[in-house]
Amino acid sequence: MMVNKLDIIEKVKECVIIAGSAFSDDKKEIYGKAIEKETNASAKWMLETTLKNALVAEKNRSPLCDDSGIPHLFLEVGPGKNIDGELLKAIHEGVAEGLRALPGRPMAIKGNDIQRIDQSGGLDIDPGALLPSPVLIKPIKEDILRLHVLMHGGGPEIRGKTFRVFHKHKVSVVTDEIIEWAVEAAGKLGCSPVTLALGIGRSHFEATSLMMEAMIFGNHNIQSKLEKEITEKLNKSNVGPLGLGGNTTALSTFLKIGPQRASGVRIVSMRPCCGIEPRKANVIL
Amino acid sequence: MIKIVTPITKELINQLSVGDMITISGFIYTGRDAVLPKIVDLIKLGDFSKYDINLKGSVIFHTAVSPAGVGPTSSNKFEIESSIPELSKAGVKIHLGKGELSQETIAALNKYNSVYAIIPPVTALLNSKTLSRKVVAFPEFGMEAYHLLEIKDYPAIIAAAHGKSIYDGK
Repeated sequence: MMVNKLDIIEKVKECVIIAGSAFSDDKKEIYGKAIEKETNASAKWMLETTLKNALVAEKNRSPLCDDSGIPHLFLEVGPGKNIDGELLKAIHEGVAEGLRALPGRPMAIKGNDIQRIDQSGGLDIDPGALLPSPVLIKPIKEDILRLHVLMHGGGPEIRGKTFRVFHKHKVSVVTDEIIEWAVEAAGKLGCSPVTLALGIGRSHFEATSLMMEAMIFGNHNIQSKLEKEITEKLNKSNVGPLGLGGNTTALSTFLKIGPQRASGVRIVSMRPCCGIEPRKANVIL
Repeated sequence: MIKIVTPITKELINQLSVGDMITISGFIYTGRDAVLPKIVDLIKLGDFSKYDINLKGSVIFHTAVSPAGVGPTSSNKFEIESSIPELSKAGVKIHLGKGELSQETIAALNKYNSVYAIIPPVTALLNSKTLSRKVVAFPEFGMEAYHLLEIKDYPAIIAAAHGKSIYDGK
């Protein structure tokens, strides 16, 4: 496939900058609604300060958080489009350029396998040295190539979970388990309110992939009955913004349910996205 | 909103209560997991002669300082929280971070007339209020080195003071 390499690099670079520095319109709206509804003074102040931060970050095109996140990539591919090594290489170069321009926190660990675990090899000072995750690819009907970039912070990774749930042929068994996990995770996260990203599938890989899709396509203004139910239950926990209490523990739930296995088990992947996440943007290549 | 300028006096700490919203201006230190135990070691040795550090009336912000900016890490990480009593005893008046602290740490803060404040993870906003930054000790830790920041109106909320915590009763 012939690609205009410089064009791709520039588009991906811009996409990384937007993902790392700007709230989507629906996220600004949901923050506005949460501020209006919140009755706890400390919680209200936290929400107002977080929204103010987002507006400054967007204006300055600077990181929303000092943990600027690990880039995760999701590529939608139309029927007449091809992917080759040249394209993927250009995408990686664009990510590196975006991280340098943002700038992202230089947090790539140097060294061999062992040194990368115990961090004895030191850090690379180049923000662009931070490699993105493997690319998830999905066919679509629209004849385009669309790249989504997500920037994943460390806190939600610590509190996230992928595990099996024995459903006993009841949806409520699965949602009750999710809420139990989510209340504990939101309480320990430290950077609530959360947006709860969930994927339910047949394997750990599939559930996590579905959870990624939930983050990409989730919208605070479009919530299913089940998503609303989970959010409402989480908001009764009194965790609140930064754990300070109040009725804004969760802004929304983004749930993606995939194909399921004929068995008594469902694999659930949960990521309690922090108050500035999901940090995401997309671009047509 | 209570406006605080460093260095901080004992009298000011006596006036602060849990839930007070504050802004902090002046010079503050930064440190987290890697460097705070080293500062505690220096206190125990009683030798700051190699460094330009004055902990009396100071503020320590639990953050790294990177090109991306600053933002609070969890103050209840072992290396950070366990440094709070000794740092308070040595004169640190405000520990700035996020997350719930243990009752033992809250008691130590009270004993040494120090408080804990939560600062929201608002990096872009904090960058716009950071006037200067420099490494003052342990440069080998890179972005986790002990830094001195000059700041104007960092927003925070008092989360533990005089034996009480904002998390009490939750």
